[in-house]
Amino acid sequence: MGALQECSARPGKAFANNPGTGWHKPPGGVTPHFMGPVARRSSIAGWLASTACRRRLPLLLVALAAVAFGTWFSTTDLSSGANPSDGLPDSRVTLRFVSWKPDHPRAWDEAIARFQEAHPDISVVREIAPHSSTAYHDLLTQKLKNRDRTVDLFFMDVIWVPEFAAAGWVLRLDDLFPESERAAFLPATIVTGLYQDHVYGVPSRIDAGLLYYRTDLLNKYGYAPPQTWSELVEQAEAIVRKEAAAQPTLRGYSAQFKQYEGLVCNMLELVGSHGGSLVGEREGSSTLAAPETLAALRFARDQLMGRVAPRALLTYQEPESLAAFVQGQTVFHRNWPYAWEVVNNRERSKIAGLVGVAPLPGTANHRGVATLGGWLFGISALSAHQQEAWAFISFLSSEAIQKHFALSAGIAPSRRALYDDPALLDAHPHWRNQLAVLQSATPRPRTPVYPAVSHILQRFFSRALAYPAVNLAEEATTADEQITRLLALTRSAT
Amino acid sequence: MTQPAIDLATTPQTGPRARARWLDRLQAWWMIAPALAFTLVFALYPVIESFLLSLQRVFLAVPSLGQQWVGLDNFRLLVQDPVVRQALGVTLGFVLLSTALEVALGLAIALVIHEQFRGRGWVRAAALIPWAIPTVVASQMWRYIFNDQYGFANLLLFGDEVARYVPWLASPGFAFVIIVLADVWKTSSFAGLLLLAGLQVIPHELYEAAKIDGATLWQRFWHITLPLLRPAILLALLFRTMDAFRVFDLVFVMTQGGPGDATQVLQFYGYKTLFTEGRMGYGAAISVLVFLTILSLSLVYIRAVGSRLLEREAR
Repeated sequence: MGALQECSARPGKAFANNPGTGWHKPPGGVTPHFMGPVARRSSIAGWLASTACRRRLPLLLVALAAVAFGTWFSTTDLSSGANPSDGLPDSRVTLRFVSWKPDHPRAWDEAIARFQEAHPDISVVREIAPHSSTAYHDLLTQKLKNRDRTVDLFFMDVIWVPEFAAAGWVLRLDDLFPESERAAFLPATIVTGLYQDHVYGVPSRIDAGLLYYRTDLLNKYGYAPPQTWSELVEQAEAIVRKEAAAQPTLRGYSAQFKQYEGLVCNMLELVGSHGGSLVGEREGSSTLAAPETLAALRFARDQLMGRVAPRALLTYQEPESLAAFVQGQTVFHRNWPYAWEVVNNRERSKIAGLVGVAPLPGTANHRGVATLGGWLFGISALSAHQQEAWAFISFLSSEAIQKHFALSAGIAPSRRALYDDPALLDAHPHWRNQLAVLQSATPRPRTPVYPAVSHILQRFFSRALAYPAVNLAEEATTADEQITRLLALTRSAT
Repeated sequence: MTQPAIDLATTPQTGPRARARWLDRLQAWWMIAPALAFTLVFALYPVIESFLLSLQRVFLAVPSLGQQWVGLDNFRLLVQDPVVRQALGVTLGFVLLSTALEVALGLAIALVIHEQFRGRGWVRAAALIPWAIPTVVASQMWRYIFNDQYGFANLLLFGDEVARYVPWLASPGFAFVIIVLADVWKTSSFAGLLLLAGLQVIPHELYEAAKIDGATLWQRFWHITLPLLRPAILLALLFRTMDAFRVFDLVFVMTQGGPGDATQVLQFYGYKTLFTEGRMGYGAAISVLVFLTILSLSLVYIRAVGSRLLEREAR
């Protein structure tokens, strides 16, 4: 505190020269020999304090204001128009919805505004969590495990339902969401909301891995979309070679190979299309060391990374890999359905109108495999407003709102009927053909300890790709054992 | 102070004098009570709680396992865990490299800003800017600098030859070096600040006397500055080692431990175990490992610093 008083009294003056502070310079005016250096040069503390006052204080205040504003902003009541204080403050129920940062905020604002119009008695407060699935998971579970009663509803990634259900964080919806209602949704999405024959989540969309390709380049060299991974490598290599003069930075393939959850999705597709799987058919045994899995890894390491994809793939998540594709830097690109809207958005993409979508390739003996993704709505088991939360979820997963998100944000709906909607098929013509791919997508291992299983897989896959000399079979066996031990833990418990 | 000053050496241990001393001591306790309570609640309690948790098996996603006391099971797992072994190696490598570089660079910074020259205030402020930037922001900046497509590092090295651009963070070796580099850039000035404090208490007369005796600049540095700076250097090493061992945000923002666990450090592994996987017992065991390592390193340093100081007193 002294420092602040100091600087308001004598702005711009160095601390040590202030006669008021006798500690620095004895009043006698004679500097004793032993404290010479300290007194002559201003002390560090004094210097810091004076600097803080003169130069940093305004900055500090601005930073504090920014933090305060940010906090206010991220929890702002988004009820459009109606001000809680001039309505009926006591009868209104406030729903707290923990959501990730949306890709299309305007589409969300509009959907919520429509809900508030229909339900003036409910006000929805969104708490915006990070965009990344894992970061969102960590924040949300932190609230849930601390029994935070201010959370009413949230999103669940398809891989979290067993964990949330086993931990008792999410409300069972058997009565609210009966069989008859579920029949309107794609079966694959309903399955992701189940745990031990009970339903916990309402699917908001469906996601599955798709292959995006440059129609202009494939047509130019007379190729049809590749049916197998080795075809993809051959086409990519040939196109890159022939285009080298015109576009020296063109590469063959971009996907998500960074050490994170997306790596598991990408590898599940490669392993599956080579005939392998991440976790064995008999629940509780892992098959990473199987020859099919190792073949898929070698393909990814030596053919994809080694020949047609840049090494930078090891640092790419969805945004980076998509950026490379929309900049026209790659021939092929693996991503989720949302990418369609981005690649054809003329403001964000250099290749709008030049892109086709196909199922991911297979191998000579096996069909292509797409990883099942997507998000479900869940209600907190501790919410005091479960009826209102259900009303909100029913609204958001209604046909009208799913159509709204499909048209304005390119989100693939989870309701079956929308895939016959002419307006939707007009905007996303490929969805008619992709419905089979979306429906037959392969889920990741369904277990309450999935986050731990995923970490073991991420480490194994990332090491396999980043270190060419690594002993794949040995590492696979180690990872296998670790996963088996984890899964055994959950079985012994039940 | 309302109590009369008491000359302890000559006070007999009887009557009102003893009572006054007792009151004095009571008052002392009362005065340090807030600080003590603060330390107990915010430092000691969490440490004890972590120790207790590390002896249990708590798996949030498998609540039917309950909360079982498992003795040293978690630590047995820790010893066998290949990720812990790797993370310990990466962390120690990071601590050694970054601390050594930071103290060396910090010494250079301290020597420069210790000198009297025009614009010294500006140079001092400039040297501190990296330290004033939040680590998360700095990490994000370094991630951009080493981006494979639009990173400044590539532009600097290869200019327009886009085809030669290197994806730095995709290489296990470079990724590790870049984490060290970012830390050195950020905290060297902090080490410099500690060393500057040490420089300022070295009596100027020693240099003048040495100059008169014909000592060169190098001799003055080697025989005066360095020996007298030793306690400050040890202090800077202590602070930096403790801090470097806790490295988390650089890894969290820049690499998430990748590629292939090349930048996996203990604290990030502990974070993933606790917050993502919900394995509270095992995560606590990792935290305890970090705590004990830092504690033992600090004890070694503090003994060294302490004996140095005693030597000087005795002289």
